[in-house]
Amino acid sequence: MNAKILAIVPAFNECGNIKRTVEEIRKVSPDVDILVIDDGSQDATSQEAFCAGGMVVSLPFNLGIGAAVQTGFKYALEHQYDMALQIDGDGQHDPACIGKLLGPLLRLEADMVIGSRFLEKTGGFRSSFSRRVGINFFVHLINFLTGVKINDPTSGFRAYNKKMIVLFSEYYPLDFPEPEAIVVAQQAGARMVEIPVMMRPREAGSSSIRYLKSLYYMSKVTLAILLLMIRQKKEEA
Amino acid sequence: MNIHVVSITVSTAIFLFVIELVRRRKLTFKYAMGWLLVSAGAIFSAVFYRLLFACAAFLGFELPSNFIFFSLFCAFVFLSLLLTVFLCQQNNRNDVMAQKIALVEFELKELKKKLKLE
Repeated sequence: MNAKILAIVPAFNECGNIKRTVEEIRKVSPDVDILVIDDGSQDATSQEAFCAGGMVVSLPFNLGIGAAVQTGFKYALEHQYDMALQIDGDGQHDPACIGKLLGPLLRLEADMVIGSRFLEKTGGFRSSFSRRVGINFFVHLINFLTGVKINDPTSGFRAYNKKMIVLFSEYYPLDFPEPEAIVVAQQAGARMVEIPVMMRPREAGSSSIRYLKSLYYMSKVTLAILLLMIRQKKEEA
Repeated sequence: MNIHVVSITVSTAIFLFVIELVRRRKLTFKYAMGWLLVSAGAIFSAVFYRLLFACAAFLGFELPSNFIFFSLFCAFVFLSLLLTVFLCQQNNRNDVMAQKIALVEFELKELKKKLKLE
């Protein structure tokens, strides 16, 4: 494997999780460079990631996951990486699946690979009921708007080739990046492939999306995606 | 007649205040434009109030005061939208800058490390 690969690990207050994530990535894929984007954490995330052997870019204040991941794309572009991986710093994504995720890119079958919880009954963590209802809604919304069927549009466990690194370092949606990025990628004519992966429940801290917030979150994302569609059409005109 | 004088005075004061803010460099021209336009409009309609009344009647407002309130409401909606646009622009620039600073800081650290090793 001669391709130069960067693992982008966005982390915000992930002290307690980040060390294990970085160590696991190093163990599974020693050839992959690990870039932890510390998104203005208040705790020792940055030191922990550094001690575990990751390169750490510390944002001066919290910019949100979209801007954090985009920082990684910018770094990947600047340092001429051929591929980029996106793995959450909270330990939800199992680095053992990295090889599987990179497969379609290495075989030149796709530009972007999305790790999906719902493709196969892998027995892993599949998220709460209310979140699954929301995710299902996005599956249909994105399918309706773009014609692309992605079963796990909110998954942040992804792999990208150079084409996507160039695209996303230029523009990456900042509000609800995961589902929106699919729309942006589709509009750029990217080939997207889904691969079944295992996900684990969070180990420390709490997920930013709570049950009662699900509906509110769903409507916000829907609006953001619709606005994104209009925006892109305007740019083309 | 009194109200006529008061409205001319107040709108002129606002107009001059905006100009003074620009002069003191507290407001740049770009951001002052909206306020200058609105206050100039207010002065114009205070001076030519008959035109204002005619406009109100033409548009079907029963009271000219309602027309004034409506116009002011529209002007402020426009101004606040304009400010939101500026805010959004600033926010995007801030994000880009923060990303750049973080990346440059990282590169600097790496360079320092390399220099030490040499």
